[in-house]
Amino acid sequence: MNLDLLPQLLLAGVVIGSIYALAALGFVLIYKSSRVINFAHGQVIATGAFIAFALTQSGMNFWLAGLLAMLATFALGMLIERVFLRRMVGEPIISVIMVTIGLASVVDGLLHLTPYGAGNFSFTTPAALSGAGIDLLGTQLSRVQLAGVLAALALLGGFTYFFNRSTMGITMRAVADDQMAAMSVGTSVERVFALAWAFAGLTAAAAGVILGLMSGLTLTGLAGIGLKVFPVVILGGLDSVLGAIVGGILIGVLENLAAGYLDGLVPGGGTRDVFPFIVLLIVLLLRPYGLFGTKEIERV
Amino acid sequence: MPASRFTQTGNYRVRYTQDQTIFATYAEQLSLLLLIAALFALPLILPRAWFPYLTQIVIFSVAVIGLNVTTGYTGLINIGQGAFMGVGAYATALAATRLNLPFYLAIPLGGVAGALIGTLVGLPSLRLKYLYLAIATLAFQIIFEWGVGHAPLLEQGGVIKPPTPQAFGVKDSFLNHNVFWYLVSLPVLISLALLWRNVLRTRHGRAMIAVRDNDRAAAAMGIHPGRAKLTAFLIGSFYAGVAGGLFMYFQKGAVIEDYSLGLSVKLLAMAIVGGLGSLPGSFLGPLFIVGLDRGVELLSQSALLGRVTAFAEGVDVASALRPFSFGMAIVLFLMFEPRGLANWWRLTRLYFKRWPFKF
Repeated sequence: MNLDLLPQLLLAGVVIGSIYALAALGFVLIYKSSRVINFAHGQVIATGAFIAFALTQSGMNFWLAGLLAMLATFALGMLIERVFLRRMVGEPIISVIMVTIGLASVVDGLLHLTPYGAGNFSFTTPAALSGAGIDLLGTQLSRVQLAGVLAALALLGGFTYFFNRSTMGITMRAVADDQMAAMSVGTSVERVFALAWAFAGLTAAAAGVILGLMSGLTLTGLAGIGLKVFPVVILGGLDSVLGAIVGGILIGVLENLAAGYLDGLVPGGGTRDVFPFIVLLIVLLLRPYGLFGTKEIERV
Repeated sequence: MPASRFTQTGNYRVRYTQDQTIFATYAEQLSLLLLIAALFALPLILPRAWFPYLTQIVIFSVAVIGLNVTTGYTGLINIGQGAFMGVGAYATALAATRLNLPFYLAIPLGGVAGALIGTLVGLPSLRLKYLYLAIATLAFQIIFEWGVGHAPLLEQGGVIKPPTPQAFGVKDSFLNHNVFWYLVSLPVLISLALLWRNVLRTRHGRAMIAVRDNDRAAAAMGIHPGRAKLTAFLIGSFYAGVAGGLFMYFQKGAVIEDYSLGLSVKLLAMAIVGGLGSLPGSFLGPLFIVGLDRGVELLSQSALLGRVTAFAEGVDVASALRPFSFGMAIVLFLMFEPRGLANWWRLTRLYFKRWPFKF
């Protein structure tokens, strides 16, 4: 084992991990409030990223485009919830899962209708981020990466604050905790669901834009994050915001460590694509509710 | 006993054994036999160009029955049926190339391999439920794709071509390839469908349904839920393995792209569109989805659509319409007809049976 690589791998892991955390945050928001597993999350991420890209292509300022993309997916999330998921309340779990799988397919098709469906694109790096990076632990961290991590952490921090302090955040937690009780004290469960989907859309666009800035935009790559989210949320706990953050960074670090130390042992390498899922299976077998999730107790 | 064994005039069942019969009347038996005969006669009637699609429908039906065993009848959500098909396909390909087995031995071997791996993957179902199990099977799907892509024995996911099969003096050639595999797959589908219909009325089949409806209550009745779940995985993945073996020969080789997550989702969509937990649905679902695929293909080739979409340059309409229509089919069925095409089939039959009375 070559320990010289370690700091570099850890750092790269934290960078990609914070984006995973941001992507997982949206996923957890939806699961936490409405117990829906969202297979279309990756497609929402891609939609957000491509909206931002299309806007910058038409000459808009990068930051403004990112903001508008977040607003657009905010609306998209709300729309999906209102049109498709609201009808599925009370249906069996498999139906709800399959609706999101179907939606993933629909959004995929719609994205293919745009010129961005196939091919590789990249943002023109905004001037503020194109300078020299900083030196951390002996490894170079580019400004883009730094900004990505900071933005992700800021959003994650903001949402944690929102859940702990604001009335709406506390209402959302109440609904997640016990729908019936929350309804009986007069909260609107529908509004909470809509808001959860909207926030999920918003964070998804943020994750998509940051990822696009760092490693380019491809539909398959961005939508693939929707699958990477599963190891993250299972490790962290499906219904825990803190779990999404910790799980995201842990999975990011683990997959980079795997890429650094296991790739040599496997013909063809590429262990980073599969290692998170092996972790996922192990966690499922030993501790299905994850590090910070609520342990479900079944009563007959 | 019923007053008439030819037409059903009412429910005359007085014993439980009578409830277990598959056919209520001779008429039902006869119509099934006629349907099977008609299916075998299709190659005489239909042009050859239809058979790529018909063969796909038959092969996918085998896999969808298997998926219905786990997901429809036992309630274990399985997003890895495509990978189980892949296990069967690769086992069949290896048996055909390395052991030089003929296809009629290699394909059952593929089924056994699928069943072994499937049961192994099903082991977490002893502890996990619903969502968690769905995610575990999804993880298996991804690990399978990656594993095949990195195994030198399996050509790193590249094509493994089996030797040309031969049966009853007929060789699988370029001209008759699709009809050949249609005629091989059809008896397999019929026998496996009858097998499952019969397993369903044994204690094992009923145990699975009991576990689906309420596993606590099933346990209280003396059923071992874990065993029922594992049996479901065993049967379901055996079917997937057999389907995979057939599909491998039909595609003229095993290649990893054929058994991706997309296939698993497609099979789930077929099961849902057909109607979960329904045997007729297991045929109607593949029929609908394969037909939809073909329809979209024809539509995107037609001149009309070319004119409509001429304004958007660099857009591949076919690759956009396919996932879109497929996704819409799933979503619309779940929202408006969650019991699937099987329900339409049931209503149509009832209409004729009860005509001219409306209820």
